[in-house]
Amino acid sequence: MSLEGARGGLQELDRAGEPSRGPRPSRLGSGLRELAAQVIPAAIGLGAMLGAWEAWIEIKNVKPYLVPAPHRVAERLYEDAWFFTQEGLKTLEGALLGFVLGAGVAIVLASLMSQARVLERAIFPLAILIKVTPIVAIAPLLTIWFGFGLMPKVFIAALIVFFPIMVNALIGFRSINAGSLALLESLSASRAEVFLRLRLPSALPYLFAAFRFSVPLSVIGAVVAEWFSGDRGLGSVIYIANNNLDMATAFAGVFMLAILGVALFLVTAAIERRVLFWHESNWAD
Amino acid sequence: MVYEDTQRSLRALAGIDLSIGRGEFVSIIGPSGCGKTTLLRIVGGLQSPTSGRVLIDGRAPQEAQREKQIGFVFQDPSLLPWRNVIENVRLPLQVNRRKHTGKDPERVVELVGLENFRRYYPHQLSGGMQQRVAIARSFVTSPSVLLMDEPFGALDEITRSAMRFELLRVWRSEAADPDCTVVFVTHSISEAVLLSDRVIVMSPQPGRIAASLEIDLPRPRDEAVEETQQFIDYTRRLRGLLREHALV
Repeated sequence: MSLEGARGGLQELDRAGEPSRGPRPSRLGSGLRELAAQVIPAAIGLGAMLGAWEAWIEIKNVKPYLVPAPHRVAERLYEDAWFFTQEGLKTLEGALLGFVLGAGVAIVLASLMSQARVLERAIFPLAILIKVTPIVAIAPLLTIWFGFGLMPKVFIAALIVFFPIMVNALIGFRSINAGSLALLESLSASRAEVFLRLRLPSALPYLFAAFRFSVPLSVIGAVVAEWFSGDRGLGSVIYIANNNLDMATAFAGVFMLAILGVALFLVTAAIERRVLFWHESNWAD
Repeated sequence: MVYEDTQRSLRALAGIDLSIGRGEFVSIIGPSGCGKTTLLRIVGGLQSPTSGRVLIDGRAPQEAQREKQIGFVFQDPSLLPWRNVIENVRLPLQVNRRKHTGKDPERVVELVGLENFRRYYPHQLSGGMQQRVAIARSFVTSPSVLLMDEPFGALDEITRSAMRFELLRVWRSEAADPDCTVVFVTHSISEAVLLSDRVIVMSPQPGRIAASLEIDLPRPRDEAVEETQQFIDYTRRLRGLLREHALV
């Protein structure tokens, strides 16, 4: 084989060849099948658990003020669907606003720390102080300062998501490809340009890893706040129902919280897939 | 250049005296750890020498950087994974807006033969294609100095040999400044001979210039060059120089 031929062959392969990973197939049929394959086993598992629960209550004759039968909880949810939805939205409001506030402050502080070690030494200890303070201990304080309603929820949710997002953001801002940095430096790019064009996108996988578990954490924060100071929201619904030994309502509230958590997790994952399409965590298997 | 740490200082480079003509293609060859990369980074203004200076057209490298006169290609293509081919090639035009003139990214991408892959992302491309994007990116600002640090070092031998000619073709095409000077760091004797007007042999500890070899092969060069007696003689002489100077 002549060198000439070898070169021609290579170029054809290299240029016309299919890339190793093409755009993923988005046909509706295969999408549905994939969804069914994921959902059906989960549904069977959940059904089995509810069935066992129902049977246990029936056989052992467990008192409804201790543990309610699943069908009672379902009845309760069905009767007052609008009530539970509204209270759920109240909790969601506090959780999401808190998440946005906490994440915003965390990302801004991490971006400052990524610019100079001295800023890191100034800010990081304060962040650790916030981290190690039990949220439950300061929740009553926040009620005194901010009263009832939305503000304590937002604050507690923000405090709870702040630290993990800040730590991940800081690692992300520093996890940059050395060659890409050298390239930008060789073009005399400014610090702001390096940040926006390289550090921020490089941090996105780390940020989303933090979002995945801090979004559900923000719901926990909002519920804790409602527990102490809420006039509205699922946290106060559960609190009041508990005091009245109204287990069906309490469990309905818990169920709504679980739905909320799952929904938020799925939304976060969907956004992550869109934003991080370029990252190896999202390449087709 | 002296590297210092707490225990001891390491002299990376010593007494480097080198001038390179405008439009010249110079390769630097030597064993690992002889300071080739450090030298290249100092020439490109990414590192400052402990003593001595570099002048590019009479100016400091940092000044040349501001004018985007320096193009870099590393062994790792260093593409931004969230940008597709054309967006990666456009990047140098988007930062440091003091100088925003340059080549049309579409045209440069065509020149490296990736016109059908403009919207592909780096993870969808082979290693050779990624390095072509990196080369296109280095030419887009039309630099007067192109610094290449073992750009084909991570590629397989077949792709590597094709990429050498690809580089020569783009370097001599209308995409490049006609006076574009290339400094090319490599481990490969045949690569150095094939590409260069001159090969600099470096020896380690501390890194210094041990020998220099003019390569007087006609341009443009193609695959046939590798089979000429002249080419074979040059590689033999270069191998001899390396054996003589560059063994640790």
